[in-house]
Amino acid sequence: MTTQELIDLLGLKALSTFEHREVHGVFISDMLSDVMAGAKSGNIWITVQTHKNIVPAANLVDVSAIIITHGKNVPLETIELANKHDIAILSTDSETFDLVGRLYSLGLATK
Amino acid sequence: MVECEHQWEMTNTQFAFVVFEKCSHCQVVRSYFSKQDTWDDYMEDEHHWSIVENAQTFRFDLKCSNCGEHVAFDDLAGLLYCTSCLEDCEVEIQRKKYEAEKTWVLVGFGFLPESKSTPLSGAKLQILSDYFNQRRDTSRSTIKIIPNSLITNISLCRGEFIHDVGMLSLEAPGERTPLF
Repeated sequence: MTTQELIDLLGLKALSTFEHREVHGVFISDMLSDVMAGAKSGNIWITVQTHKNIVPAANLVDVSAIIITHGKNVPLETIELANKHDIAILSTDSETFDLVGRLYSLGLATK
Repeated sequence: MVECEHQWEMTNTQFAFVVFEKCSHCQVVRSYFSKQDTWDDYMEDEHHWSIVENAQTFRFDLKCSNCGEHVAFDDLAGLLYCTSCLEDCEVEIQRKKYEAEKTWVLVGFGFLPESKSTPLSGAKLQILSDYFNQRRDTSRSTIKIIPNSLITNISLCRGEFIHDVGMLSLEAPGERTPLF
């Protein structure tokens, strides 16, 4: 599955500009240190964190996209930094629990 | 003898805090790893330490899954990304140079004040770069970790650590206080 397919299937809103890529597995955490320690290349990272520091953390471990849940507002400086690093920031009004259920039903799981 | 092509794995992971504190008398900044979330000022000899930042973070070692070589990173305070605050800073110069090659530069920061004069060695930072590159699709981009000694003027540095700040606070996060 690709980030484009994910956007289409889940009705996600793309906030940054990025090159679409393959998605492999899901990682859920609101802590950068968790992500740096445990996320894998190609994972989707689901979080409610919107501070710009999510971008270098995502970039460091090569996640395929960051999905911001609960419809949280993402600061412009976060989006601009994501554009610079080709990091996909996607947004949904869904709660994390609901989004994870839908991802699971699409065959994506923790990897 | 054939040299091992190391495949690094993270091991001995410990989640805790990195504390940055400043002496209100001499303005020296020091940092250390702590298992406690502490914010109290205190006196120590002639110093009066106040916490500047207490961030959640983790520390780890790397171990080669091929040969078992173990490299401790207990001297790594964190990874800092450049915010381009000073155009003539060597970190900003390197960042621009490598960005053109789709290589993202981070600063491997040791603890203060020791790391000002004794930064993490080039060999250790190369191992750290190798580890993060082994974790990623390097056909898209790569990571390069450089020493904090390349920061031209640390007292003016507005780079940001990839740390968890304010996670235990009940207040919404605001702008970060400059550390240095």
